[in-house]
Amino acid sequence: MRTGLMGGIAALGTLAVVACGSSSSPTSSSSSGGSTPTPAAVQTGNPTSAVTLSESGSTLLLPFLQELVAPLTAQYSNITLAPSGGGSGKGISDAIAGNSLLGGSDAYLSPGQFSQNPTLANIPIAISAQGVWFNLPGVTSLKLTGDVIAKIYEGSITKWNDPAIAALNSGVTLPATTIMPLVRQGSSGDTFLFTSFLSATNSAWANGPGPGTSVTWPHVATEGSASSNPGMVAACKPGCIAYIGVSATSAAQTAGLSEAMLQNKAGNYVTPTPSTIGAAVTAGAASIPSNLALSLIYQDGAQSYPIVNFEYVVVNTTQSSTDNALAIRTFLTWAMDPNGGSQSQYLSKDNFVALQGSVPASVLSAINAKIASIT
Amino acid sequence: MSTMSARAGDVTAGRARRRASSTELSRWDKVLRAVSAIAGIVPTGLLVFIAVIMVVAALPSILFNGFSFFTGSVFNFGNLYATTTVTHNGVTALPHAAYGVWPLIVGTLATSLIALVLAVPISVGGALMLSEVIPRRIADPLSVFLELLAGIPSVVFGLWGVAVFGPFIAAHVYPALSAIGHVIPFFKAPVGVGQGLLTASLVLTVMIIPIVASTTLVLLKRVPILAKEGALALGMTRYETARVVTIPYIRTGIVAASLLGWARALGETIAVLLIIGDIYSVPGNIFGNSSTIAAWIASTLDGALQDFTGMGVHALAELGLLLLAISLLTNLAGRLVVRRVAGGVLPVGRGV
Repeated sequence: MRTGLMGGIAALGTLAVVACGSSSSPTSSSSSGGSTPTPAAVQTGNPTSAVTLSESGSTLLLPFLQELVAPLTAQYSNITLAPSGGGSGKGISDAIAGNSLLGGSDAYLSPGQFSQNPTLANIPIAISAQGVWFNLPGVTSLKLTGDVIAKIYEGSITKWNDPAIAALNSGVTLPATTIMPLVRQGSSGDTFLFTSFLSATNSAWANGPGPGTSVTWPHVATEGSASSNPGMVAACKPGCIAYIGVSATSAAQTAGLSEAMLQNKAGNYVTPTPSTIGAAVTAGAASIPSNLALSLIYQDGAQSYPIVNFEYVVVNTTQSSTDNALAIRTFLTWAMDPNGGSQSQYLSKDNFVALQGSVPASVLSAINAKIASIT
Repeated sequence: MSTMSARAGDVTAGRARRRASSTELSRWDKVLRAVSAIAGIVPTGLLVFIAVIMVVAALPSILFNGFSFFTGSVFNFGNLYATTTVTHNGVTALPHAAYGVWPLIVGTLATSLIALVLAVPISVGGALMLSEVIPRRIADPLSVFLELLAGIPSVVFGLWGVAVFGPFIAAHVYPALSAIGHVIPFFKAPVGVGQGLLTASLVLTVMIIPIVASTTLVLLKRVPILAKEGALALGMTRYETARVVTIPYIRTGIVAASLLGWARALGETIAVLLIIGDIYSVPGNIFGNSSTIAAWIASTLDGALQDFTGMGVHALAELGLLLLAISLLTNLAGRLVVRRVAGGVLPVGRGV
């Protein structure tokens, strides 16, 4: 993990061959002047012998990776991607233990995980987001703040016509329906994103249940639960409010649910679209750390959507064979290439947003430096 | 495992008898002795091995949480992204980590006991019906069905509970049941959509009925016909015969069969996980969402794996140890009950 003061901008379109040193501090990251860029070419190519890139982890990332299997082998005949699920925690622990070469994770590694495993890197390969949906016959558009949502989930707001909700939605006739908050069962990356948003906007939540993949939810009599994003859609009966990853957006629309506009840090109400998600990434990328562990929750920016996250691939930067290292570098570089794996036809399976386009050069150069260091 | 090895031992002994030579006989005797020794050690050794491994894996959690593990109601792996850790009794965990599993103890005992209370009368009644009332040529195929029912994978029960049974009883049965709430407050509640404590208990009931019923049926078939005929000859009705002769003869066996069913209900994971809602709380009413020890281990392991201090996995190991202890305790309690029930008041011999 080099932490020299090296700012720089990599040429966006040619990320496959050019990369720059990562930045150590937020202040120097987005400015390219001053320090000398040290381009570290990412060596990619077809390994001489066949390499199977085993992957385990995030089930949110899984459909996207499955889409990539065929086009990857078509381009690099000796690289086979073998993705499987298991959850983000399993992805990280498998990558640490060497059970799989790649670990998919919705969450970035923690400082503790980095210090225990200094050779580990987390590489963002796509961007995801989470919507807050509701089922309220007669109402299709609602504005909500993280503070109000936190009060719903802690049980202090129980009816849809509560003054706190009405105050945000003048002109909307709200029924006196009881609110049924839905949560994800067990441990879930979606729960982590959602409770991070609540913690950022409601101090009682931050000091109480807090952010986490599995949370002790405050007791709400009408609370329901589901075990997946599609399960949340199915369980969202009239009166319900649910947090649902963008991968299930079309399912939620088909089921007749409506998506809430969430208040961002600048005070504007937004829904997750490629442009509002991109705005959040742009704002966050201004302070991307050298280890690429970056929360995109509740970012600055007038148009930024508040619940956005990188989808990460966790890799060990020290590999036992040069072919494995080459295959990993090649796959990661190709996966985030807008002409490679990050084409909309592959990303659309999950409604992911490509790193490309909206992500500033500093992110890409930092990512490329990490990939170049995989040996 | 022991039965298989023992059977292998029988075969060995048989071969030994066929071969007449006395030197060979003693050699095969030695083999037999070795095989049975291994067969005897393996099951005991396995239990000790598992218990030791569980204790070792749970030890940091036992040190960290102390007795509050059993009484607390908050389960939180702590702040994963903190730059510091907290140390207590020499073991490290994440800041704000809290492991109190009281809601899981309640959920586990509540679901399994409700299931047991409902399943035992139905199972014994059904077994009596099959063995004493229905003609044999109809009863025999029916009892085969009972055994097939015991073999249905639990995930199938879970799916059925989620997709069919839960929504149905939530719409048609629970509203009537919640009327009891005027008498017993625990029944008064919004009935929800069919997931929760009661639905999980009912599905567990269906799952353990075949276990208890088929075991009871086997026992009923072993009641001596002479005793029953004697009772009938004395002018007893069929009901009186069952009450005075048949049931007392097998009641220790019924307790044992119920324990088998209870053990199954305690450890059942996937069906309960799918149905109970898996919310970490002591439900305020019988329709509320809850969780059990087994379901919680399965659903939170992924979160525990992200805890770099390892305390999350240690805490789940202590949960597993707790489940093991509960299973052993219920088994022991059952044995005590059996001993008391079997205490010499039986009119005709003793049951299994």
